[in-house]
Amino acid sequence: MSFREIIIQQLFNGLLLGSFYGLVALGYSMVYGIIKLLNFAHADIYMVGGFCSLSLLAFFGGTFFGNGWLGIIAAMLITMIIVGLLGVLIERIAYRPLRDAPRLSLLITALGVSMILYNSVMVITGGEYKAYKTGLGFEGFSLGSVHVTYTQAILIVAAVSLMFVLHLFITRTMYGKAMRAISMDLDCCRLMGVNVNKIIALTFFVGSALAASAGMMAGVYYGSLHFFMGFVIGIKAFTSAVIGGIGVIPGAMLGGVLLGLLESFGTQIPFIGSEWKDVFSFSILILILIFKPTGLLGKKESERM
Amino acid sequence: MVKRLMILTLVVVLMASVVGCAKPAEPPADTGDASAPKFDGELLLGVMVPVTGSEATYGKDMENAIKIAVEEINAAGGLLGKEVKLTLGDDGCDPQMGSAAASKLVSAEVKAVLGGYCSGATIPTLKIYGDAKVPFVIIAANSTKIIEENPGWAFMINSPGYHQANAAADCHEKLGTTKLALVHQGDGFSEDLATLTKKEWESRGKQVVGFDVVNKGEQDFSSLVTKIKSSGAEGVYWTAYHADGALLIKQLRQGGFTGNIVVADGSSSVQLLEIAGQAGEGVYCTSPPVVDFLPAAKEFISKYTAAYNQQPGPYSGLAYDGTHLLADAIKRAGSTDPDAIRSALEDTKDFKTLSGTITFTPEKVLEKSNFISIKGVGGKWVLAE
Repeated sequence: MSFREIIIQQLFNGLLLGSFYGLVALGYSMVYGIIKLLNFAHADIYMVGGFCSLSLLAFFGGTFFGNGWLGIIAAMLITMIIVGLLGVLIERIAYRPLRDAPRLSLLITALGVSMILYNSVMVITGGEYKAYKTGLGFEGFSLGSVHVTYTQAILIVAAVSLMFVLHLFITRTMYGKAMRAISMDLDCCRLMGVNVNKIIALTFFVGSALAASAGMMAGVYYGSLHFFMGFVIGIKAFTSAVIGGIGVIPGAMLGGVLLGLLESFGTQIPFIGSEWKDVFSFSILILILIFKPTGLLGKKESERM
Repeated sequence: MVKRLMILTLVVVLMASVVGCAKPAEPPADTGDASAPKFDGELLLGVMVPVTGSEATYGKDMENAIKIAVEEINAAGGLLGKEVKLTLGDDGCDPQMGSAAASKLVSAEVKAVLGGYCSGATIPTLKIYGDAKVPFVIIAANSTKIIEENPGWAFMINSPGYHQANAAADCHEKLGTTKLALVHQGDGFSEDLATLTKKEWESRGKQVVGFDVVNKGEQDFSSLVTKIKSSGAEGVYWTAYHADGALLIKQLRQGGFTGNIVVADGSSSVQLLEIAGQAGEGVYCTSPPVVDFLPAAKEFISKYTAAYNQQPGPYSGLAYDGTHLLADAIKRAGSTDPDAIRSALEDTKDFKTLSGTITFTPEKVLEKSNFISIKGVGGKWVLAE
């Protein structure tokens, strides 16, 4: 591989990894933006999405849908709805009763929800890795020795379109406007007649559905699922959200892609290598936060009284 | 008044429960069954394997095989006239859980311990067993660090890492690899094996073009795949475990890598081939003696499948062998005195097992390597010629 080919291939690797991070980071960012909660259970929602879609896909295997692209798209839509509703349920049961409680109580509750989710899945799956079988092959296109499978290309397109749809939803619809308004001032919105509970539930639905789609894409792409698979990506997605400016939607996407690219190139850089790639990428991220504490796209926020 | 009444009630209830406990709870044990062998007490052995976590499959496979061997031993009259009983310590493939499991077994006063799958979890237990003078037959864990840290009470019945490094180099040499890339996971076992293989490969006058690590739990190896491809490697040797190994194999093939892939014994599970799918075809594995390929193990396999309704795992055979080896040593020792058991284990000479014969070197490791090469064909591992 020539130097240029390596750069192109790593750029592509980073984009794919970054779009996974971005999809999960969006959920962290949206929830933080609207109720100032670090939703630790979000990473486990991602994992549940993976398992949920696996069961659906196994169910579709023998039907008209099959386990090719048609089945995958159908499974993804249903998974997003089911897991989105799970997110709403979690908000209703675990977070809404605590909305006026100190932030710390809410944070601990989120940790508890996270443990309930991954332990339940651990019990159900027996703690084992599950193979994610699809009808997709390794066919793809090559440019020189840069190799991209169709699966990879389609996943990037899917992730980017989901983000784009979300962006339109936030900026162009009344619901999106209501979300942005609530993130500025919840009580004021309530006084203006906005149904705050409904909008918060909707936020959880959208965030969870996006994480579920990422969980499913990870299953399709990597080929295996595990009850603890949310942990590492959860940390990295949360980092992405902070780097982009937590609470800012485009920031989460930007942060995700940036982290993905840093990791990919960190692996390739001589003398740093795979052993130090996390050290490399996180050092750069710390530098960014030193010079821009609110994150890349974050705005300075004055303390609300 | 109410308070006094309450106290009185409490006292009455407590007394009633004490009297209740004092009564013999069960009738004396049934003595009518004459066919069952009569035992003069119990002999407790510890089993330390991971039965939770990512390596739980292997741990359960080992525990099952040990149970079969113990059933056989008890059916033949037990050991020293005593009935052999097992108690489990779950090491979870984690150093901290391993230490806790070892302390639990030691305080249960086991006479000896069988087990040890992950080297990382096994190493910190060596001192615990050594201090308590508990002989420890290590079934699967085979890091050379175990040899260094062994206070003299542990016996390894799986070939240590350097035996496998030779096997890996032989396998790659046969496949025609000259430039080799090594990938490990940064834990005791896999890093050790990667280092040893690197030394072995370079001592054969060949080039190592990559020495990389992947973090446990991470799923995306695409940037590493690009690095391996750009290094011009013709072969890859993965020295860690199956769950992440499957991901690496899949992504290597997806990324267009066409060279030889060999994986180490931690990856010899069928699950690796299942997760890797078509990418697993033609992948080689340096494996410990898996019972499926051993002619002597037919009877054991049929017993195992009858008892557990599943095929034995890659370390089931060794677990079975280790149990019988320990039983033989206790018999030869003639007592449960730890020093006697230890010297009986030391004196083991050509003890016949399913996977060959066992003789220990002074370092308490196997004299001869027991590795074989297997290959993924049609989603199954078969013995490679």
